[in-house]
Amino acid sequence: MGKYEIGIVDTRNILKAIKESYDLDFKNHALTFFKRRLEYILGKYKLKSADALIGKIQNDKEFFEVFLKEVCIETTELFRDPSLWRYLMEKFLPEVLKGSGTYKIWFPEVSSGEELYSLAILLKEMGLLDRVQFVVGSISQMRLDDVKQGKLDVKKMEVNHANFKRIFSEAELEGYYSVEKETGYIHPDLIKNMDVALQNTYYDKHPRSVKLLMWRNQMLYFNQILQERLLKSFCHTIVPGGHLIVGMNEKIDYWNSGKDYILVGEKENIYKKRFS
Amino acid sequence: MHKAVIIGGSAGSFRVITRILNALPKHFPIPILLNLHRLKHVRSGFVEALSIKSNLPVVEPYDKESIKPGIAYLAPSNYHMYIELNKKIALSTEEAVNHSRPSIDLSFETAAHTYHRNLLGIILSGANKDGAWGLKKIKEAGGTVIVQDPADCEVTTMTQTALKMTEADHVFNAQQIIDYLLKIK
Repeated sequence: MGKYEIGIVDTRNILKAIKESYDLDFKNHALTFFKRRLEYILGKYKLKSADALIGKIQNDKEFFEVFLKEVCIETTELFRDPSLWRYLMEKFLPEVLKGSGTYKIWFPEVSSGEELYSLAILLKEMGLLDRVQFVVGSISQMRLDDVKQGKLDVKKMEVNHANFKRIFSEAELEGYYSVEKETGYIHPDLIKNMDVALQNTYYDKHPRSVKLLMWRNQMLYFNQILQERLLKSFCHTIVPGGHLIVGMNEKIDYWNSGKDYILVGEKENIYKKRFS
Repeated sequence: MHKAVIIGGSAGSFRVITRILNALPKHFPIPILLNLHRLKHVRSGFVEALSIKSNLPVVEPYDKESIKPGIAYLAPSNYHMYIELNKKIALSTEEAVNHSRPSIDLSFETAAHTYHRNLLGIILSGANKDGAWGLKKIKEAGGTVIVQDPADCEVTTMTQTALKMTEADHVFNAQQIIDYLLKIK
């Protein structure tokens, strides 16, 4: 650990190189996070210095795709925070899916897909999957390609199974995925109602009429400028009365001075967009 | 001279931590940062359990929460907890380090960057090596390091690894750690 250290100036130079070569703007990512992530990438891909990384970014498009994948922090596991998913199953989803019509759910940054897969499995268990349209985005094309195929990291299966059992004591997770050549794939039917869209770092390609926006543990990596910008822009995309779910230890109150969102599920950090 | 204390522990540390929190006064003059390994799906209950005997508030911080004196900040389950230069807490779901998330090493290292010689780092009983590297970083940054005496630990892997990597300023049993903390002005 700590083998590859770069400075703030290096970090800024890398930000500049990315902006110039690909017109992607990471300056409103949390600086210390981004620096740490660069150090992680330097270590993992055995690059000797910040300049070596800049060279790779400028001259190797394929590497840059890998770089973007690494910058999208994985969503760690299926059914992270089992109590949230239990709440969604028992209280939240039966209520919001009472009516008819399609219920659109947007994951602006789907990353490694576990949040999407968890919700799809939950809805399938509830018999409500057909009512839902998923829209998923990512800043990484590689992440999107993986999610389109339903790829699932098999290294996490132990915790995935344990979490699943905490929600569904009677059911089995096995039926929802298969493993081929050490790669897991969730059942394609789970994500057949899904549109995908490549995003930039401002996530400004919005679908229309979103009823639920899943945004857990994504703002951790942004500074306050970007957090505020995103929360404001998402507010235009979520229909009145629609919902936003953020991570367990994320607060949106600082940027919610206009009270666009009302906290409705306090323990689970579920917000509702106001009607007026 | 100490402006923050950071404490890491895993197996066998819970009882020591509760003793410490029970002994410290309500208006302890500096912040306390806690990184204790525990079951990650158990989200609630731990703060409550620590709070029962604590005189000062124990909180699981929100991302980007400001660090204040007299409050004990417990690394939330399944997140890394970083101490930022602007004396705020940053959380992350990045890869586990040494099979640990939260990683004690990462909390210690970033706290060392932020508080330098004004940091007091303490490592308690535990069953893995997490924390030993971070304690070294605290020492290198000029901070003070205390290792719980392995003879006083329920599980000694963590403290013994720390002692191998770093020359501790003090090797104390739980009571001596409490006595030391009570002298902080």
